[in-house]
Amino acid sequence: MFTAVPKSTSLFGDQMRKLVLLGGGALVAIIAAVVLWRPSSAQTQDPVTVARTLTAADTAAFRGPTQPILFRHDLHAGQFKMQCQYCHYSANVSSEPGIPSMQTCMGCHLVIAGTDSTNQAEITKLRNAWRDRKPIEWNRIHFLARHVHFPHDRHIKALGATACATCHGDVTRMPQVFKVNNVTNMGFCITCHLERGVNRDCTACHY
Amino acid sequence: MSDQTPDNKLDRRRFLTVVGATGAGAAALSGCTTDRVQKLIPYMVGNEDQIPGIATYYASSCTECAAACGLHVRTREGRAVKLEGNPVHPVNRGTICSRGQAGLQGLYNPDRIAGPMARQADGTFKQIEWTEAITLLVTKLKAAPGRVAVLSGQAPGTFDTLLEGWTRAQQGTLTRWEPFGHEPLRLASQRVFGRDELPLHDFAAAKHIVSFGADFLETWHTPVEQQRGFAQSHGFTQGPTAKTVYVSPRMDLTGMNADAWVRVTPGTEAILALTMANIILSERNRAPADANGLRGMLGGYTAEKAAQQVGVTVDKIRQLAREFASAQPSLAVAGGVGTQHREALELCAAVHLLNYVAGNVGTTVKFGAGVTRGDGYAAIERLFGRFDKGEVAVLLVHDANPLYALPKSGQFAERFAKVGFKVSTAAVMDETAMASDLVLPSLHPLERWDDIRPRAGVLGLMQPVMEPVFAGRHTGDVLLQTGKQLGGTAASVATATDYKTYLQNAWALEAKRRRAADAVQFWRDALQRGGLFDVASPSAPVRLSATAQLTKAVGATFDGDGAYTLIAAPTLTMSDGRGANRPWLLELSDPVTKITWWHWAEVHPETAKELDVREGEILELTTPHGTIKAPVYIYPGIHPGAIAVPLGWGHTAYGRYAQDRGANVLDLLGAQDGNGFLPYQSTKVSARPTGEYRQVGKTEGNNRQLGRGIAEMMPVEAAVKGLSLRQFYEQEGHAEHEVNTEREQGAIEGFRESQLEQRKRGGYAEEHPQWGMTVDLSRCTGCSACVTACYAENNLPTVGEEEIYRGREMTWIRIERFWEGGEREGEPLEARFVPMMCQHCDNAPCEPVCPVYAAYHTVDGLNGQVYNRCVGTRYCGNNCPYKVRYFNWYAYNKKAFPEPLNLQLNPDVTVRGRGVMEKCTMCVHRIRGAQHTAKLEDRALVDGEFTTACAQACPSGAITFGNVKDPASKVVAAARSPRGYHVFEELNVRPAVTYLAKVRHTEGQS
Amino acid sequence: MATTAHESTQTHADVTRDVIGTLSAPGKGYYILLASVSTALLIGIITFIILLKDGLGHAGYNPPVMWSVFITTFVFWVGIGHAGTLISAILYLFRSPWRTVVYRATEAMTVFAVMTAALFPIVHIGRQWIFYWLLPYPNARFLWPNFKSPLVWDVFAISTYFTVSTTFLVFGLIPDVAAVRDHVTGWRKKVYGMLALGWKGTDEQWRHYSRAYLYLAALATPLVLSVHSVVSWDFAMGIIPGWHGTIFAPYFVAGAIYSGVGMVLTLLIPLRKALKLEHMITDYHFDNLGKLTLFVGCVLFYAYGMEYFVAWYSGNTFEQTTFWRRAFGPMWWAGWAMIINNAFVSQLLWSKRIRTNLTALFVISIFINIGMWFERYVIIVSSLGNDFDPWAWGVMTPTMYDWGILLGSFGWFGLWFTLFFKHFPIVAIQEVKEMIPMPRRKGAH
Repeated sequence: MFTAVPKSTSLFGDQMRKLVLLGGGALVAIIAAVVLWRPSSAQTQDPVTVARTLTAADTAAFRGPTQPILFRHDLHAGQFKMQCQYCHYSANVSSEPGIPSMQTCMGCHLVIAGTDSTNQAEITKLRNAWRDRKPIEWNRIHFLARHVHFPHDRHIKALGATACATCHGDVTRMPQVFKVNNVTNMGFCITCHLERGVNRDCTACHY
Repeated sequence: MSDQTPDNKLDRRRFLTVVGATGAGAAALSGCTTDRVQKLIPYMVGNEDQIPGIATYYASSCTECAAACGLHVRTREGRAVKLEGNPVHPVNRGTICSRGQAGLQGLYNPDRIAGPMARQADGTFKQIEWTEAITLLVTKLKAAPGRVAVLSGQAPGTFDTLLEGWTRAQQGTLTRWEPFGHEPLRLASQRVFGRDELPLHDFAAAKHIVSFGADFLETWHTPVEQQRGFAQSHGFTQGPTAKTVYVSPRMDLTGMNADAWVRVTPGTEAILALTMANIILSERNRAPADANGLRGMLGGYTAEKAAQQVGVTVDKIRQLAREFASAQPSLAVAGGVGTQHREALELCAAVHLLNYVAGNVGTTVKFGAGVTRGDGYAAIERLFGRFDKGEVAVLLVHDANPLYALPKSGQFAERFAKVGFKVSTAAVMDETAMASDLVLPSLHPLERWDDIRPRAGVLGLMQPVMEPVFAGRHTGDVLLQTGKQLGGTAASVATATDYKTYLQNAWALEAKRRRAADAVQFWRDALQRGGLFDVASPSAPVRLSATAQLTKAVGATFDGDGAYTLIAAPTLTMSDGRGANRPWLLELSDPVTKITWWHWAEVHPETAKELDVREGEILELTTPHGTIKAPVYIYPGIHPGAIAVPLGWGHTAYGRYAQDRGANVLDLLGAQDGNGFLPYQSTKVSARPTGEYRQVGKTEGNNRQLGRGIAEMMPVEAAVKGLSLRQFYEQEGHAEHEVNTEREQGAIEGFRESQLEQRKRGGYAEEHPQWGMTVDLSRCTGCSACVTACYAENNLPTVGEEEIYRGREMTWIRIERFWEGGEREGEPLEARFVPMMCQHCDNAPCEPVCPVYAAYHTVDGLNGQVYNRCVGTRYCGNNCPYKVRYFNWYAYNKKAFPEPLNLQLNPDVTVRGRGVMEKCTMCVHRIRGAQHTAKLEDRALVDGEFTTACAQACPSGAITFGNVKDPASKVVAAARSPRGYHVFEELNVRPAVTYLAKVRHTEGQS
Repeated sequence: MATTAHESTQTHADVTRDVIGTLSAPGKGYYILLASVSTALLIGIITFIILLKDGLGHAGYNPPVMWSVFITTFVFWVGIGHAGTLISAILYLFRSPWRTVVYRATEAMTVFAVMTAALFPIVHIGRQWIFYWLLPYPNARFLWPNFKSPLVWDVFAISTYFTVSTTFLVFGLIPDVAAVRDHVTGWRKKVYGMLALGWKGTDEQWRHYSRAYLYLAALATPLVLSVHSVVSWDFAMGIIPGWHGTIFAPYFVAGAIYSGVGMVLTLLIPLRKALKLEHMITDYHFDNLGKLTLFVGCVLFYAYGMEYFVAWYSGNTFEQTTFWRRAFGPMWWAGWAMIINNAFVSQLLWSKRIRTNLTALFVISIFINIGMWFERYVIIVSSLGNDFDPWAWGVMTPTMYDWGILLGSFGWFGLWFTLFFKHFPIVAIQEVKEMIPMPRRKGAH
């Protein structure tokens, strides 16, 4: 009584084959993606030649968000070899790194006015801000979720001189700071803690 | 995870931005409210005593009641985040009560006004400039020489001196007034010993305590200090404990902690006291010689006569007297607001005599500290009398709220209105401020310079711990500025440009008086210490004065012909009503009734039957002076002939939390003088069931233990013998008999061990501390200071009455109050308190059931709860035998902390978003913090270098926290006590919290 | 002894015609049904959205009762999902002839019930948007679900059961779909053709088919027992008095089958009428269904008794209090609703008159459904309400939101089922045919 005679004689028609192929392919792809995925590890530096004179206009060429003042870590921390803690004063004594107060900047820049027009332009911005008692609103680059407690001091003690670079990258070569590691991602923390075989208890950071 | 971090969450990062804008005050705070801070705003000038991420502590003094405890204010990034006790302060020795801690919510109260308010022609208020306000005040003052009056509630201190001088300069009158002034006690001291002051009581030294309605653990006198003393004498160490008897028609928290409650007929305590004195004097006289002069006066008070007046058996009275006399030294106290009836003065005098004949005066009752509580109620009446006569043109009300705290029947509001120009310094628009013409919001004590002298030998300092949250102005500065502008004598009083200088000058003099080499150093030390504390509080020997003979007791009289005596009961949470705008105190369940967010009427079960009312039915209470409504709470701890309604509710103003919340029981009271004080227990009340209902928001489920051994108790005799609970029960003959054979026992043990196998693997095998806790129920009084401490420390949200109805309170530590006995007539009613928090079980039922490891066991023995991993299946909550896991059914964190209350949030603790489970963490952030510090200093943790918030706050020192692996630690020592037991031990969950059984005098209960 | 089927006067052609006839263009009644289930579903969806927005607080959770109507309904639907596989697989293996006409409907019911149940874990958790954390998947945080947790077992149990029962249903459909394919035209033909997987009914295909079907049946059988055992462990693994019972696995499986058969009756009796299948689904079938119901009903009766007995015999005060309050506590009404509806009502089925009286049977089946829902409600809510610490005791009262979700779940289930029986043969054509003797020449015997 079956009138229609399908093309295929096998139990699995070729429609089914298509389905199987498609589905299987997709599945494999997904699994592969999931398994192979890892948090973005440290990328290589910008090849931007670190020149002494950069104008704010150049910042477009750099990675990372443009700051209200082109504060150059590569000059301060790099060429002038200033200690990180000179500005980030509480990084090694507290869980918080500490944002340098305007006073800290002015401590030097009352006298240092910059060598060339571009630097002077930036420093003038700073001086005006100081004059108008208007703190500079820096754009934030590194975030941690609020349920994470990251004590900077412990990590600096543990990692020593290279501590800051471990997460923040080598700012001494960054005309403009950008996010080298995805510190927001727990994977980044765990990888490091695993490599060094240190505490991975949840309540070490989450409480 | 954005849900994890609510908009108004203030963590370190947010703090940084806030602090950057310090000075701009609240305006800047309400700024950045994004989940993540997008901008980093630096300080203009760094603040050298504030390192971001590290707490700075400032010493200060508490002004939530007249006891003036010492504070350590913890500040983070320039914001006060918690109030803790000052360890060197003689009054509170590092501990603090709930009301004290809630002071923080006075500082951050969202209803504080932003500037001076002046009443317009149309009666509304308009905010004006400070200069404008000052000028206005000055002109008014200029126009009214000699017709100025000042009403101040601020405790004695430099400010008081300034205020006095300022007032005198305008030929004005200064009235100092404290609602709970304990005038009867003071007047009695005057009469019996000729000393116009309140005595101090040494509860720690007392071997037997009888309180005639003095709620010394709640509102009476200096509660925290008294609680510490009480815990020392009544808490069990090894010797017998001080038997405590509570004589009152109502069993309040103090009564619940007594070994026996003598339920007397309202208003007859004085008769009992005199009778006891008489018996002691006639039977075994250890009294000073001059006491014999009292024989004639006391002779009339025989046990037989007293028995039927007081409603206690003759033998009972004799027993009371003998026990009181035999234990040396003993202590009797009286004068609580709850029993402040027309005979309160006689009662206090009688108790003075009782102490005197028992030889306690000078040992446990000390005079000479010069403790006063304002000028008393009489002064208030005089002041308002002057209003009536129109003698006052300008009135300055500072730190007082008479229009709330005085009975309506006295027409105080109307009489207040007769004053031409009324100025209030209230920071929140309270009843008095609403009726004033000019409001000059003062700074909160945590924002200002000041000092306070609660008693001789204690001079506490206050300093600004942060920039003012609202643009108030120190009333001291206002006085100085007005003084300058007024010129003349007023100007001569204003000896400094600002109050800080004025204060420092005063202290320079103090330094000179004490022959300090360097006044500046003296000041600095005092500031660091929190003030000046003399070693011993002065004690002056006293003798009976002739007037002592005037004492006589016939039983208090009552207005009206209602069927029941009305008891206006002071409660630990609300006290005189000053705490009514603090969410913490509103949500904190009343230690006695466990009711939150609303007032109630306590009715004895028999009375309830008589009136045919059930819990929650609204009673209409009527006295000759007024009528209020209150939902019934059926309470076995009250005299059948009395109905108690708590004080402190029913504000008509005072901010969003307090306004129109419940009814004010003062409306039922007469204002007429009970010679020198306001009689709070002076009316008969008639109760009419209205048939309307209002659910009472109580946090109690079933208040009987059903023999489940949650709150264990053993008689003092057994405890002294050093019996363990098991031994005690065996001796009593009802220990559950062991049915298991040896082999079965072995099997069970093996099973128990095998269950902890995973504890031997991985990180768990390493050497870690194991955190544990003990709670000594013989010391715990149920005062709930730990609960508030936990709210403050762990950012617990208040959920509000509606949610409490549904059992959704978020109290990580709750005080369970179980009743024992009291079911049959004559059987004594006993209350037992158990602080119940996460037991951090070693074999926790909540851990294996969590599908995502949000609940797991940390290597250091904590029962970890990882909020950001929690998906909210709530299985852990179901499986917890102690029911100490709390779920965020809504985004409570969004509702609970309206700006600027969010500034109180502790940046070290994650604020939980909706949909996650939370619970006591044993203050894991403090543990980790201490471990960080230790690691940074390359040292091991020291026992006692930190503790949990609850243990730190507890005025009785009932809670001990520490590492149970350290044999030298305090917690181990405490846990070794034979009284130690675990709740639900049979479940084999291995709690880390050990309770020490309560110890009571079970002999001769009434 | 499938006499009834033999006596039926139909021919193969009749069967095909009748069954495929059920797929004819629907009438007004069908659309009304469709509309009502859709509305129910819509209400459920709206409720869920509100819960998603504000949090679970709207629902009637009163700690310590942290699970309530949602979990109750979850277990209810998982339970429903049992009769299907039981009837189609186990009875198939037992060669029980009467299953043939009903098993398609019950299988469909199974699949849709499990689909409904599967929604509830998501509805019920606090942070629905991260429900997938319950699944094991590799991630950079090196975090895995806790395989000790019964809730994780649940995830596996349910998904396995869903997969197998769906395969079983779809596979069983092949020949019938092919038959339908042959009767329709246009795009329908394409669709059915696809689902027919090129079935043309050759002997070779039949051989493969029946083998595979046998194996599938064998595979599905243990699941009937395993799934609900696992679900029961959601509770039995907890230490709550009233949950912590060794009897729970068989107790729940019996309950599941009971509720499942109940639901089958509730669905078939009206369906039979609506689709005019009276001559196929006969008293004979209902009689047998009734017997099955009676049997599991008795098992349940025993389980109830046992629960109380154990509570008493254990001498454990917590257990005793819980069961005392289950019967006489604040939720006594629910407790008795469960016992009467399940244990006692089923006893009526001893009488054949009732077993074959469809109205009576229908009413009973409704009672059973309600009773079984209450069984879960009582076990969950009343046990949680009064466990170890009396101070924390509380009574839970459901809110509109609970009912909204419950209604929605019926809408979701109803929608699928309604669509199903209009688009696929609700009676298995092939197997019914197998019951019919080969047509003989006229005038024979």
